[in-house]
Amino acid sequence: MSVKLAGELQSGNVIIVENSPVVVLKAQYNKSGRNAAVVKLRLKNLMTGRISEPIYKADEKLEGVMLEKKPCTYSYYAPPAHVFVDEEFNQYEIDAETLGDIEKFLTPDMTDVCEVTFYEGRPISVVLPKTIIREIEYTEPVARGDTSGKITKSAILKDTKHELQVSAFVEIGDKIEIDTETGEFKRRCT
Amino acid sequence: MIGNVELTIDRWDIFCAVVDNFGDIGTCWRLARQLVTEHEASVRLWVDNLESFVVLCPQAVVDVAAQVIESIEIRHWTPDFPDVDAADVVIEAFGCTIPDNYVAKMAWRDPAPVWINLEYLSAEAWVEDCHLARSPLSRLPLSKTFFFPGFTASTGGLLCEQGLLAERAAFDQDEADAFLRRLGVPLATAELRVSMFCYDNPALGKLLTEWNSGPSPIRVLVSPGAATRQAADWFGNHLQPGTVLTRNSLTVQALPFLSQSDYDRLLWSCDVNFVRGEDSFVRAQWAQQPFVWQIYPQSADTHLVKLDAFLTRFLGETTEMPAVRNCWHAWNGAGDIRAAWSDFAANRRRIQQHGKVWASQLDRTGNLADNLVRLVRGN
Repeated sequence: MSVKLAGELQSGNVIIVENSPVVVLKAQYNKSGRNAAVVKLRLKNLMTGRISEPIYKADEKLEGVMLEKKPCTYSYYAPPAHVFVDEEFNQYEIDAETLGDIEKFLTPDMTDVCEVTFYEGRPISVVLPKTIIREIEYTEPVARGDTSGKITKSAILKDTKHELQVSAFVEIGDKIEIDTETGEFKRRCT
Repeated sequence: MIGNVELTIDRWDIFCAVVDNFGDIGTCWRLARQLVTEHEASVRLWVDNLESFVVLCPQAVVDVAAQVIESIEIRHWTPDFPDVDAADVVIEAFGCTIPDNYVAKMAWRDPAPVWINLEYLSAEAWVEDCHLARSPLSRLPLSKTFFFPGFTASTGGLLCEQGLLAERAAFDQDEADAFLRRLGVPLATAELRVSMFCYDNPALGKLLTEWNSGPSPIRVLVSPGAATRQAADWFGNHLQPGTVLTRNSLTVQALPFLSQSDYDRLLWSCDVNFVRGEDSFVRAQWAQQPFVWQIYPQSADTHLVKLDAFLTRFLGETTEMPAVRNCWHAWNGAGDIRAAWSDFAANRRRIQQHGKVWASQLDRTGNLADNLVRLVRGN
């Protein structure tokens, strides 16, 4: 068990609160009196997704969590869960709620190596590589002339049917790079 | 009501770690007495420094583990904390850390005790956002509730005994004269009477110099500690309770340590009160006399932010009283206290009127002990 002082917590830290793992989404410090401080935290329960906003004395000791992380690849969808496989071919079922925003980028043939985080052997989050490549299934053609990329249009990704904004010069069948942190189009692959 | 506790006569444990001076224990002692006398609570007050407590409460004994004073059980909080049952309501005052073995006892109770972290007083806006916020522990089935004193209805309010304002209103010139006579203060009507309770403050020497050379007589009643020591340094003379030193327009009279009740009467009897920290600062507001606050100094000048937060609440939108702002800033190291004092003194009557309106406004937000009991008992 590691001990974390509330005053040292930062976004992304995982601690135990009320016997549940919670990730720190935001930490805001205020000096109270006699140089004491209080910390207001915004926490997300990793088991339930519930958001809470407790406050702590800066010197309050909380239990930190050492999380296990493994590289995994996406395997298939077995409703209601998606199945990921690690390097030793262990399979992990992860539901859509846990996947959050990345579900829209999961395709059956993807080879991207994802980072799966485990708490007590249970997968609690999946992070895609910062950049992924996906194929455009449909987008409207645009009039020739503007190739600057400043004008955007809607496009639909193959398999997932996820819609996003791409540069006007992108065409059906093109492969594009996507920033998974923002979910935005980066560029067309050559 | 927090949790499942439904109580009328309940047992309270108040934990007080004395950091320095008398603010922590002064506030806890005041709260304990109010809970007992006004809310029929059974209170055990744990104090780690009985020497400080004895100064406030002379009938207490220093080297006793447990004693009962004014129906409050006073316990000496030592490192080898005894094996005692947890109370129904547990107050950790000003972020002190409750002993682990006591917390373990709290965790065993069903229902769990109501655990309150009574915080420092601040007028800053963030306090409203944090008042009554939960603070759950990692593993134990316990959660504290942060309780912030404050100046608005969205905070816990200020300590104010029932009947205090009525007593204050009824305190007339005859009572003031009798009180001052008891302290050995002569009743010279031409003198401006000032009470002085402060931390070490470089501005005090400058102010004494200003008063010394001023056109009107001023009597400064200095409290024991930093105020007396600095006044003695300025005179280059020894000062002890009862000593009176005079130079030109300035007379300084050293007071003994007064009880909380007598200190209130001192504030009511003086024309201007210099106060510090938290407890005397609150009492000065209930006294409704012009006052100047020295805030507890903090690192990175955080205290100046807190000072301005209070000034903004205290003065509201009015820009008509720069005298208050300037004098308070100067007293806290940001300005020329000699010039600021002249302006403050010249506006004394208006400041006093404003203080009466302010106290009435504070009274309407409800007092801290009542708010605390209401929270715990759910009524």
